[in-house]
Amino acid sequence: MNMTRLNRTVAVLNVLAFLSLLVSIGFIFLYAPVERSMGNVQRIFYFHVGTAWVGSIAFFVALVAGILYLWRPQRRWDTIALSSVEVGLVFLTVTTAAGSVWGKPAWNTWWEWSPRLTLITIAWLVYAAYFMLRGAIEDEEKRGRFAAVYVIVSFVSIILAYVSIRIWRDIHPVVFGGTLESAQGAEQGLQDIAPGLASMRMGITLTVNVVSFSLIYVAWLMNRIRLQLLKDQVTTLKMRVAARLQGG
Amino acid sequence: MAKLALSLPKRGRWQVAEQSQGIPVARPQATTSSFWTAVWSIVWKDLRIEQHTRQTLSVMLMFSLVVVVMFNFALSTDLDAARQVSTGLLWATIILAGTLGLNRSLSIERENQTIDALLIAPVDRRGIYLAKVISVTIFTLLLEVALVFIFTIFFNKPFWQPAALLVLFLGTIGYVAAGVLVTSMTIQTRSREVLLPILLLPIVLPLILPAAIATAEIVSLQPQMDTVNSSISLIAAYDLAILAVGFFSYPFLVES
Repeated sequence: MNMTRLNRTVAVLNVLAFLSLLVSIGFIFLYAPVERSMGNVQRIFYFHVGTAWVGSIAFFVALVAGILYLWRPQRRWDTIALSSVEVGLVFLTVTTAAGSVWGKPAWNTWWEWSPRLTLITIAWLVYAAYFMLRGAIEDEEKRGRFAAVYVIVSFVSIILAYVSIRIWRDIHPVVFGGTLESAQGAEQGLQDIAPGLASMRMGITLTVNVVSFSLIYVAWLMNRIRLQLLKDQVTTLKMRVAARLQGG
Repeated sequence: MAKLALSLPKRGRWQVAEQSQGIPVARPQATTSSFWTAVWSIVWKDLRIEQHTRQTLSVMLMFSLVVVVMFNFALSTDLDAARQVSTGLLWATIILAGTLGLNRSLSIERENQTIDALLIAPVDRRGIYLAKVISVTIFTLLLEVALVFIFTIFFNKPFWQPAALLVLFLGTIGYVAAGVLVTSMTIQTRSREVLLPILLLPIVLPLILPAAIATAEIVSLQPQMDTVNSSISLIAAYDLAILAVGFFSYPFLVES
């Protein structure tokens, strides 16, 4: 994609993302009803789930880009993988922070070493180390290759961790398709809140939030990709200047 | 699958043609059997080196002893607490000592530049990965034999039970499979040894957690076999998945 078109796309996406964020905040505070047992604090739920959703999508995109890079080593796959991991890590951090703020009134603690929270910690560490690996390799082509392999290994490892936490009972409720775990949790009296989807309005608000966070993800991803392209351009220009100076 | 079956006899013919031009040599053809011949010869080479130098295993063992003593010292105020955490401690010792073994076993090839010889050799590079996994697993298992002995004595818990040994065995395979892959990356970077723990430990946590839980359950007074069984299947799944990823992505790490 050439630079002017990319610039225009990024600008449009930025505006769209900003507007969708406004809309979803409006939905959260004006449209969604007050949750019965938890009150207003439950409104964090929409941000929490929205960002968590984007986090998992971002790492999946990075995985696909990593596989594509190994298959056809082109610079753009590496750029996409790097950008996606970076944005994903931000979303993961936001999810954790929002969850922690919610956990204080709900569980009476900021943090609990429950399986799911342990998983999030592991995922965070794994993907933060990704940047350490990149930083330690100078050769561009080698960096792309190693980063691609690492992204694949780490995704597999996170998936396995995800499977394993579904087996153990957890204080954390399940939103997407968790029957076994939530049933076990309810049995043990861990979940007196079925997380909020009882009402139609809550469902709509959640959907709006998931869509708008996905838009924000795409916007940030494009911004990050643009940044990387600009960086690459600067490197090329610097090399050309150096060559010119040496030649003259 | 059909493609594979087709390509194998072709390769065999090519080799025969090449050999018929010169003096016929009794060389194994590039088939499954030659793959395993290569794997075993690399494993055998690693074991021979260790037999002569005794560097890897002794370093791992000494390091583990230091860790155990240090933790004992840290927990000495409360002996019950020490017993409680002993399984976690066992696994922590194994993975920390394991990073030493991994670094040693893979950097020895770089120091003497024998890795180049291995890469030039007409050997499937995935075979090199498998061989390294096997040899480091053997070292780590030998270390674990000593550790089980030490932990049984120090913490008075039955770590020698067959189920516990099975968990140790399976856990070691997965750990080393991920370890060889990550170490192959880190030894080619600027920071080398420093980078290995921060890359490897988070990746193996999904393996170590069920392993530690299963071990703790097995050595407890009333083990719950449900937990043990589900943990063992998780460990086995991790082993298979990481071995598969490592097997197919290792050639990308040693391109030159």
